[in-house]
Amino acid sequence: MSNSENTGGNRWLIGIIVILLVALCGAVCVGGGVLYFLMQPGSSPLAQPAPGFGATPPAPGKQPTARAPVAPSRNILRLPGGTDPRTLDPAQVNDTNAGEYVAEIFSGLVMLDQNLKVVPDIAEKWDVSEDRKTYTFYLRKEVKFHDGRPVTAQDFKYSIERVANPATLSPTAENYLGDIIGVREKLSRKAAEVSGVQVVDDYTVKITIDAPKSYFLAKLTFPTAYIVDKNNVERGGRTWTDKPNGTGPFKLKEYVRAQRIILAKNENYYGESKPKLDEVQFILSGGSAMTMYENGDLESVYVTISDIERVSDPNSPLNKQLFIGPSLSTGFIVFNTRKPPFDDPKVRQAFALAIDRQKVIDVVYRKMPLVASTILPPGMPGYAEPANKLTYDPAKAKQLLAESKYAGKLPDITWTTIGAGGSAAQNVQVMAGMLKDNLGARVSIQQTDDASFFNTIDDPTKNPYQMFDVGWAADYVDPQNFLDILFRSTSTQNWASYGNPEVDKLLDQAALEKDSTTRFKLYQQAEQLILTDAPVIPFSHSREYWLTKPYVKGMIYPPIIIPRLKYVSIER
Amino acid sequence: MTAFILRRLLWLPVLLFFISLITFALGVYGPGDPLQVLLGLRANPETIERLRREYGFDQPFHIQYLNYVTNALQGNFGYSLVKYRDQPVGALIAQALPVTIQLNLVAIFLGLGIGVPLGLIAGLKRDSWIDLLIRGIVIAGISLPIIFLNPVLTFLFSRRHDLVFAAANLKFSIGPILPMVQGYWDGIFSAKVILPAFIESLGIIAVMTRQMRAGMIEVLSEDYIRTARAKGLRERTVILRHAMRNALIPIATILGLMMGGLVAGSFLVENWFGVPGVGQLAFDALFARDYYITMALVLLIAVAYVFSNLVVDITYGLLDPRIRKA
Repeated sequence: MSNSENTGGNRWLIGIIVILLVALCGAVCVGGGVLYFLMQPGSSPLAQPAPGFGATPPAPGKQPTARAPVAPSRNILRLPGGTDPRTLDPAQVNDTNAGEYVAEIFSGLVMLDQNLKVVPDIAEKWDVSEDRKTYTFYLRKEVKFHDGRPVTAQDFKYSIERVANPATLSPTAENYLGDIIGVREKLSRKAAEVSGVQVVDDYTVKITIDAPKSYFLAKLTFPTAYIVDKNNVERGGRTWTDKPNGTGPFKLKEYVRAQRIILAKNENYYGESKPKLDEVQFILSGGSAMTMYENGDLESVYVTISDIERVSDPNSPLNKQLFIGPSLSTGFIVFNTRKPPFDDPKVRQAFALAIDRQKVIDVVYRKMPLVASTILPPGMPGYAEPANKLTYDPAKAKQLLAESKYAGKLPDITWTTIGAGGSAAQNVQVMAGMLKDNLGARVSIQQTDDASFFNTIDDPTKNPYQMFDVGWAADYVDPQNFLDILFRSTSTQNWASYGNPEVDKLLDQAALEKDSTTRFKLYQQAEQLILTDAPVIPFSHSREYWLTKPYVKGMIYPPIIIPRLKYVSIER
Repeated sequence: MTAFILRRLLWLPVLLFFISLITFALGVYGPGDPLQVLLGLRANPETIERLRREYGFDQPFHIQYLNYVTNALQGNFGYSLVKYRDQPVGALIAQALPVTIQLNLVAIFLGLGIGVPLGLIAGLKRDSWIDLLIRGIVIAGISLPIIFLNPVLTFLFSRRHDLVFAAANLKFSIGPILPMVQGYWDGIFSAKVILPAFIESLGIIAVMTRQMRAGMIEVLSEDYIRTARAKGLRERTVILRHAMRNALIPIATILGLMMGGLVAGSFLVENWFGVPGVGQLAFDALFARDYYITMALVLLIAVAYVFSNLVVDITYGLLDPRIRKA
């Protein structure tokens, strides 16, 4: 049947179909729009969110929502939450994303204050024995779980025993509690109980560690050592953190996966700084946090590189709301000292001088991080302005390379970096280009995903990478956390396979030293030796950039997990 | 008929066995390791070794696989290892699945609503400029990769555009038309559903348009259409009652097959638009090597496809006795 025969008869039909089609598209758009407005919280009973593993079933009618303009009378802080936390169980926390919530819901014997000093928390004071191996903590008597049950020394004992129970599968047990006598034995099922934690009476607990360690108290501030409620854990099964019963300044009010986490004030909080906010809402996932902040839907927001220029402009109103703080982290370019050509320190030194780090940071990172010249980040106790700033010096670099045993016969080099996609991270490309221009080094870039990358560098003795870049952020505020863990010859995080007996000796001395001034001096000496050997190039110290509305007071952006929301208030 | 269904169903465990074996082997032997992702740079070999032992990852492959199957047969699909640590995999999927099914249903309706009329017009106006235009648009729509459409459509519709025409001294702003990338997923009854559903529906629109066009062309050349016209029926009756209804039969089949795809979420669309569905869960699980989640999702999707194929075959069998014997 030919087309022309049809045309006359059904022109109207086509017309109707076209109209229907347009109407359909219109209906979808308009309908969607209308529904969107209907869905505005409070305006419609349809506005029920899908039930997730929320802490409490959402109550109809008074559903707090991120987008909702909040009445000024309500004391609510809204923050960008990023992706879902991996866990809300203190025993499982090993990243800042989860730690942020856990530090507000739970608490431990000691904590870090705003100046990152170890201060009493549930323990009101403690004694340290003469040999510095036994700590006696005296607990406050007025501390209660959110459900009102008083906290005693047995609860602390239970919490430590739980982390040390291999069935708990804690990823941090060795790192944070491994110094306590008996923890490692229990983890490997050689003991049924942690002998190093003893309950003296209801409000006194004694902890014994295997050697004098000045950083032990700092480790106890990490969530691994927080107190959990036995009834809560045992009754809740594996998902007990859906309804966590903690001791912290805030309680978990609601958690809807991929949508929001809402914390509510703990009215019975024991600490000196009582929480002032009624509620803190963390908005999970969901695109542009910056847009939400500018629309007034968030009280505070991190600044990403795409917004840094306009925020840094002194003429911008946003500039007055900008906070820049240290992050206690250092990015490194690591040389594998077992692989040619990096077995020769002169090659490593030459590479370090041939990279113009300031330029990379200015151009690629728009000056957001600081150029690093030391291993310890600024803000870390023991940090000292470096004598030698590792300034860009291509002439000296050339000279050092010529003096090395690889002069004129530098092998091809592969730089491994985490990433995927058509082109590697701009910073790595730029630096590889600098090495080519200044030293004639042929550096190719190999990208890999983070799971494979960590798996490979985890074993320094087998790591095939010649050169790679990796960052390290402080777990606790002590130079040991950088120098001992990353550069001791026997450490498993010694990515460069670096070994210097002199450095090891200094690290041993520092670990045992009682006087903190002398101790930090010893760490500085070790750091200088390491920097001279150049197993790594310190590249950058990242910084935190946050915008905060002027009516929010007391907000801090600590570089490490600390309970911080109790200091915040809203004053309009 | 019963024998046919039974025979088909008996194949299901065999299929699931092979799929689960391959997926499990990829998880165990593939590069990377969930515990390594969990511990990241802080991987203490002592901790890794302990967790490996406690999870039973140090056991030989067949033991691990048998343990998994034994638990799975009792309805325990394991717990998330990394991404949502200790949450039961079943519960995670139970949360993600409705979101994906809803989004996919919207996409299918959109695909039907746009694709069928387009195909109808193209079929009726075969080889005219309007046919060429529709086919061109459909081919362009299906050929543009999602990875390109996501940012471009988001840029166009969910941002404010300040337009300045210096010559005419004109300055005005448009948009944002669709507020989809602010805040979180609000369910399908919000404007946020439009872009992801539209992008997901492009493939469906293409299939529907092409099938409808081909069906119309074929049916219109049938004798009974000529007879219908010859006996003086109105053109509207001929097209709507006689031609279109027959051309819609293959569309129903395609829809049946698409039902299997309902449970599979799109990685690209769900991640870009922050839709907390199966695609996002699978994507996170793959990158975190959270392989109990991956396993369960692969099995779920396999079962869904097997059943949707079975349903289609049964329908065919009912319609056409020749197929029943095959």
